[in-house]
Order: sequence, then C-alpha cells, then structure tokens
Amino acid sequence: MWAFTIRKLIYNIPVYLATVMIMMMLLRVQDPVAGKLSKNPTQEEYDATKKELGLDKPFLQQYGLVLYEVATWRFHRNMWTEPGVTVGDKLRTAVPRSLALTIPALMLTTVISIVIAMISAFNRGRWLDRTLVFFAVLGMSISFLVYIIFGQYFGAFLLPRWLGTDVFAIYGYESPLKDWRNWPYFMLLPVLISVIVSMGYDTRFYRAVMVDETQREYITTARAKGASQTKIMFVHMLRNAMIPIVTRVMITLPFMVTGSILLEKFFGIPGMGYVLLNAIDNSDFPVIEGFTAIFAGLFILSIIATDILYAVFDPRVRLQ
Amino acid sequence: MLQPATTMLCVQSLAKKALVMVAFVALSVCGLCGASASEPEIVLHLPMSTAGPNTMDPVRGSSVYDNRACNMVFETLLEYEYLERPYKLKPCLLAEMPTVTDDGKRFRFRLKKGVRFHDDPCFPGGKGREMVADDVFYSFKRMADKRNSPKGWWLLQDTIVGFDQWRTDQNSAEEKRQAFIQQKKSAGEADYESAAPVGFDYDAPIEGMRKINDYEFEILLKQPFFRFTYTLAMFQTSVIAREAAEYYGKTISRHPIGTGPFTLRHEDWESGAFMSLKRNPDYREDYYPADPGLNEDGSEPYPGYSEDKQLGFYEDAGKRLPLADRVEVSFFVTNQPMWLKFRNQEIDYTTVPAETFEQAFIKRTQKLRQSYLDEGIRFTPVPLLDFIYNGFNMEDPDFGGYEDEKKYLRQAISLAYNYQETNQAFYNNLNIIYDGAIPPGLEGHPENHRAPKNYRGPRLSEARKLLAKAGHPGGKGLPTLVHYTSKQPQNVAMAEMAKRNLKKIGINMDVRAVDFSTLTDLQREKRAPFFGLAWGSDYPDAENNLQLFYGPFKSPGSNNFNYDRPEYNEMYERARVMAPSPERTKLYEQMRDMLIEDVPFIGSMARTRFYLTHDRLRNFKPVEVFANWPKYLTIKEN
Repeated sequence: MWAFTIRKLIYNIPVYLATVMIMMMLLRVQDPVAGKLSKNPTQEEYDATKKELGLDKPFLQQYGLVLYEVATWRFHRNMWTEPGVTVGDKLRTAVPRSLALTIPALMLTTVISIVIAMISAFNRGRWLDRTLVFFAVLGMSISFLVYIIFGQYFGAFLLPRWLGTDVFAIYGYESPLKDWRNWPYFMLLPVLISVIVSMGYDTRFYRAVMVDETQREYITTARAKGASQTKIMFVHMLRNAMIPIVTRVMITLPFMVTGSILLEKFFGIPGMGYVLLNAIDNSDFPVIEGFTAIFAGLFILSIIATDILYAVFDPRVRLQ
Repeated sequence: MLQPATTMLCVQSLAKKALVMVAFVALSVCGLCGASASEPEIVLHLPMSTAGPNTMDPVRGSSVYDNRACNMVFETLLEYEYLERPYKLKPCLLAEMPTVTDDGKRFRFRLKKGVRFHDDPCFPGGKGREMVADDVFYSFKRMADKRNSPKGWWLLQDTIVGFDQWRTDQNSAEEKRQAFIQQKKSAGEADYESAAPVGFDYDAPIEGMRKINDYEFEILLKQPFFRFTYTLAMFQTSVIAREAAEYYGKTISRHPIGTGPFTLRHEDWESGAFMSLKRNPDYREDYYPADPGLNEDGSEPYPGYSEDKQLGFYEDAGKRLPLADRVEVSFFVTNQPMWLKFRNQEIDYTTVPAETFEQAFIKRTQKLRQSYLDEGIRFTPVPLLDFIYNGFNMEDPDFGGYEDEKKYLRQAISLAYNYQETNQAFYNNLNIIYDGAIPPGLEGHPENHRAPKNYRGPRLSEARKLLAKAGHPGGKGLPTLVHYTSKQPQNVAMAEMAKRNLKKIGINMDVRAVDFSTLTDLQREKRAPFFGLAWGSDYPDAENNLQLFYGPFKSPGSNNFNYDRPEYNEMYERARVMAPSPERTKLYEQMRDMLIEDVPFIGSMARTRFYLTHDRLRNFKPVEVFANWPKYLTIKEN
C-alpha cells in the first residue's frame, strides 16, 4: 500500500505543478494593478503599486514563491484586500468556519440520503418509492438561490415573528467558541438548506446504487436464509454499496474546505467561500493562489485516499 | 420572659432598621457614584453594504467604506457642521478655524489642547498621549511615503511649498537604503543595518510646514488653493500617532489608533461579518450642535432648519459626544439580508435596494407606504454628488478633436441619447438628470438642472441635422463607435439601450463590456474612444469636478477625457485659487457651458439614495459627503 501511495504521489507532482502554474497564468491575463490605484493615479503610482504587489518580478519568480509557500506551509504574503493580514492568518480563521458549516451538512446529507435511498430501493416501483423519487427530482430542479432566499425569508424572518422568539439569524456570524449557542443560531439554517439542496442529488445517486445491490444474488441468499429486512439493508447491502458511497464522500471532502460560496455570501459567514469570492471580486492574487494551491493538493490527496479506501472496503481490490 | 422577648423584638427591629438604613445609604452612594452605570447602554446597529473596509489606515484608504470606518476612530483638523446646509466646515482637532494670510497662501493653525490618542500598548504604559503639532506633520508626511501605498497623495500633491521635493528626496533616500541593505545581505554581511545610509526621514523639515509650538503650526501653500481647506476634512488627512505606526508596522491597517469618538480593538473587527466599536472614554470635549433658533426676522438660520427642529434633531443640543456607548456595524454583501434585518428591527437604518423599492414605496408618487409609516419608519432621500456620464477621448481621431465638425458630431450623439429612458428603466426614475459636470447642490449647477444651451436628448431631428453638418448625413462614413463599459449587467444593458438610440440617427455603436481594471487601463493608455463611468465628488465644491477637464491632468491623470483647451485651463487656474464668491460662481458657469458646447462627455445623472430609519434611531440626518455622524446618533425607545 505504501509503495502504491508513494508512486501515486510522485505521478501527481507534475499535475499539481501544472495546475498551480495554469491558475497563476490565467490570473495574470488581466492586469490587476489598475483596480488598486487611487482616484487620480499617476504612472509613478502605477509602478509603485505594481512593485508593492510583487507583480514587477518575473513570472517564474512569482511561481516559485507560491510553491515555496506551499512547501514550507507558510503563507506569509499579505492579502491585497486586507493589508496587514497574511494569507495564512486568513486561512486559519476562515477554514474552520467553513468546516463548521460543511461537515455537519455533509454528514446529515449522507446519512439521510442513504437511509431514504435504501427505503426507496427496497420499495422500488411502489408509491413510496415514486413519491420519494418525485421529491428528490423536485429538490434537484430548484435553484440553490431559491432555497436560500426562501429559507432566509421564512426561516429567519417570518418564523420568529410567528413564534415570538428568535430561532435563526437572518445574517451574520459569531464564533461558537465564545458561546456554543452561536452555532445553531448562525449555522443551523444554512446547514439545513444545504442538506435539503444536496439530498435530492444524493438520494437519486444512492438509490441507483442500492437498486443495483438489491438485484444481487447475495440479497436473495440472505433472504432465503431468513435474514431480517433490517439486517439485509444495514449489514449486507450497505457494506457492499460502500465503494460508490466512499467515492462520492471522498470526492466531496476537499470541497468542505472551500465552504459554500452561496451560503456563506447570503448568510454572511466569513468562511473560505466568502473569502475566496471576495478575493476573486477584488483580484486578491495571494489569497486565490494560496487557496488554489492548497485545494489542488487536497483534491489530489483525496483521489489517492479514495483508491486506498477501495481496498479497505472491498477485499477484491488490490493496490498495485 | 416578656422583657427579654420584647428586648429581642426591639433588637430585631433595630437590626432591621439598621439594615434598611445601610442598604439605603449604600444604594444612594451607588446611585450617586454610578448613575451612568445603571443607565442602559446605548448601542447603535449600523449596516455597511460591503465585506468591510479594506483598511483602517487613513493614508491607505480610498473607498467610501474606509472613510466611514476611519471616521469613527480618527479625526481630522476640520469637519463639517452636522446639521447645517449647505455644507460648512468647522474646527475638529483645531481650536479655531485656521487664519489665512499672504493672499491665502499661509495657513496658521491652533490645535485643541488635551486631545488624547486612544489607550494602546504602543504607548508607554499603554496610556494614549496628547496629540500635538508633530503628529499632524507626521500624518501628512505618511501620505508622501511610498512604503505606505498612500491613496491620497493627490490631495496634497503640488500644494505645500517644498513638500513634493521632500517626498522625492525621502523616497529616493529610502530606495538607496534598501538597495544598500539588499546588496550587503546578498554579500552575506551581518551588520548592514547600522552601516546603511539614512532612508525615509520623517524628521527632515519641509519648507512649507513650520511648527511654532506643540499646539501651533503654519503651512505655506504654493498657491492659494481653496480646496486645501476641504482636504483638511478628508479622512486621508486624519491624525495618527507615530508610536502606533511604528509599533504596528504593516499591520497598522488593522490596528486603528486615533483620537476619535470610538475605539476599535483588533479582535472586535471580523472582516466580512462585523465591527464592534466602543465609546472612547477619554474623548475630548465635544458637544452636540446647539439650537441656533430662528433669525430675528423669523427666517431659518439655514435651509431645512425647521424640518430638523420638527424631527427632533435639536433635542440633544449641548450634550457631550459621542451619544452612543457602542456601535455595532454589520457588513452585508447582498441586499436581501440587510433588508430583512431592517424589517426585523435588527439594524437601525437601511438604504433601499432597487429590488425592494416597490415593496416600500408607491412607485408613481415615490411616497413611503402607509404600513411603513405606521411602524414609525422615516424616509429621507439623499441626493448624491454624482457625475454619471459617457465620456469621449478627445484625442480619438474619429470622435475627439475641437474642430467644428467633430463638435457637431458629438453634439449629435448627445442629442440621440435618452437619459430619461435610462432613468426610468434602471433607477425607478429616481435619478436627477442634469446638464454639465457639476452635480446638484453645488455652486455652478444649472437652475432646474438645465443649462441655457444644452444638447440633452432625445431630440432626434436636431441630431440628424447636426450629423449632416458634421459631414456624416445618416451616419455615412462614420466608423463604429466603440463604447467601453464595466461589465456589471446593468451597465451593459444601459449601453445597449444607448446603442439602440444611436442607431436611430444612423450611428453604429459596439458595446464592449470589460472589468473595471481593464477599463481603467484603457483610459490610462488613451485607448477607449467612448466610455461609461461615474465620479463622486470628494468634497462639496465644483472645483473637484471641473479639474477632471484640466489639460495638465490628462491621462494617466484624472482627466480621462484628455480634454485640453487653453481657455478652459486658464479659467480653471483662476477658479481654483478663489474663495466662494459670485465671481467664482460665474467662472464655474462659464466652464460648465464651455464643456456643454464641446461635449467631451454626454451626461449627466446623479443618484438619490433613499434611507429608511427606525423611529428609535435619533438625530440621524443621512449624508454622504462626510462620515463622522455616528457620534451624533443615539437610540431612544418609545
């Protein structure tokens, strides 16, 4: 397994280097300096700003700096949008906030979707299955933005008026480390919206997986042996369906760090999605570069980890 | 038995009385000592439509949000009268208005005594020290230091005697120092710092800045620029302590230490979420404006006084500022949450997003709906000092130039434009359309927004005639007019509307939507023949707009039009050294009309921002020209 992992890592180094380089080249298609100047800029100010941003250096030197930051894990460059704050500082504060939103959402979505998918698969073709599929498709067909706007309006604005007490925050963020109640107040509504949106996609996918499994011979054998419905579903079928589930979850993991751009933007949660969006809007290269470099690395690692987990869950898979 | 019992009762009764007395005395003492402690804390909840200010270092700031945030923490030498209109300057850190001699070139300043910087570890013992004349010079000098990436140098450029040269010398010395250090570092030498030449020297004197004593100083201008007084009220010239700048270095942007009414700790500022400011306990003596009362003849002391009085803006007259104990600022990057939070009483005021306009207002009458009035919500329209235009590059070979034919061509294009249609389609008909480059409310703005002679469209038959006169009947022989605009959907839609209108007189327009930095680049390099942009006045003087057409300020300077007419330049040079007067107004009007005739731009429009305020927020007179108003605000629940 170690040999496989090391080999995979080495194979992916050029992919990683190329990803970072292409990203940096694309960023530099448009000159960001003009957007950073004062109201009445002079050529002198333009040159000084370019120098301050480090864009006067040759491209390869800039590329080397980004790789050096990744290699040393020290993202020490100052953000362009928030002078005095390093990219590392920003990542350290923003990533945990995104995780506080995305991890519960992923866990809830995965568990609920798998349970619904199994119920649906076992009742395939019946009204219950059709109803569940109908709602799954409906859920997939509605835009994320609609859920956010309606969720915010009904959940955070109207609901407290009906109940006479505040349930969810309309917008904003305060750290749950200060007071644990901040988490449900600021995060639960975005988490629920995220679960509702993702459930449609996940349920459809897992249902297809489960339907495949219900037609396998081992299920018939288990039934013949008198295994209970629950045991067949949660022991035999679930274990065999783990490979697609693991693949889906593992591929999703790096996106936990990116957070949800839309949710964070509309609910004012200063997580990574929000920071990244702001950085893109304001051409904040150090943030975009640092973040993309990390994300690309995580993505490659998650693909390698998925391959390894295949072998863990399925003894037939050999890592070679 | 009775006696002891009685005695016991008596003792008990005495003890009770004593307890009551002690409690009463204790409460009274507490009441006397801590009267304010028992009062509820006054907390303002203010919105800001941004992810937050980029910086709280005044010299690095440029946006309206930087301005608003800095104004709560820092102070300038001058500030605007809060309630009076038209805008009027008054002393802020100064004890009195500067005295001006030598034909308007020599300014003598006297600082207020006892103004202290906020307490911070950057000061010995953590206690903020008194602000003195050296701090003012130091703050101005920071604007010249390129290491600070100053965004406001243009405010002082070519203004103070010797300052420009000093800036060149100091920056060049710093460059030499850095080069020396770099060289020694590369050579592997250890002790290079002490051997390095002196770099940027803040202590080096400037001819035009003279300290008289700790509280008095003089500034000598190259010419009697009237705008200099406005500059002294702009947040970029806020006074900052040298200790803070040196202690925090590059992170000074996140550690604002000023003399202002509120303090901000580093940990109370969460970018993208909120900013929590507290009352400065050592704030200087500053009081809410006194009620001037009606003049002897019964007239108002300033326009709008009676309305201010009726709205209760003088109820807190004479009270010590700031009125609030805390300011909680929430940042919003989308409109819906800001609107819902306002409707939910979680923020004290809001501006009205376009998409919710019809929810709150009857579109036809532009009146606030009764349901909102019943909730005690107050509505204030605030006209902005906007100059929204479509500009020509006067050096463009096809559409620029000063010959009669070129002038007719631009006049024809102007006559084909329909700003009324734009206003209806995109701004709920709330914008003010006006002739010239001087926004409403400023000296030189045409009466009823219309200049005596103008080329405001749509007047298509006149446009066609002028086009023929320009040698292009029906647009014949004209190349396609390339129009650059920033790529927000609304800007593109507006440009497409203009394209349709120009087509009516036979002119083809090609709309190119680019991002803002590309648009700026194109202008800097004089490559945009026609472009859509806007300018917000920095101070309430038309000079700020008229300088946009001054020849020496051509691209890459602020004159994006590259307009350069000797007659105009001469008039501008005369006007910029004049104090407000009928003569100056006349000059402004002449310049305005010259621009209208030459058509270096097609315009203009100014937005009106609609503010809605909950009844509990008192003394809020919305304004966007200056931003130090949070200190005047308070909350009074009915």
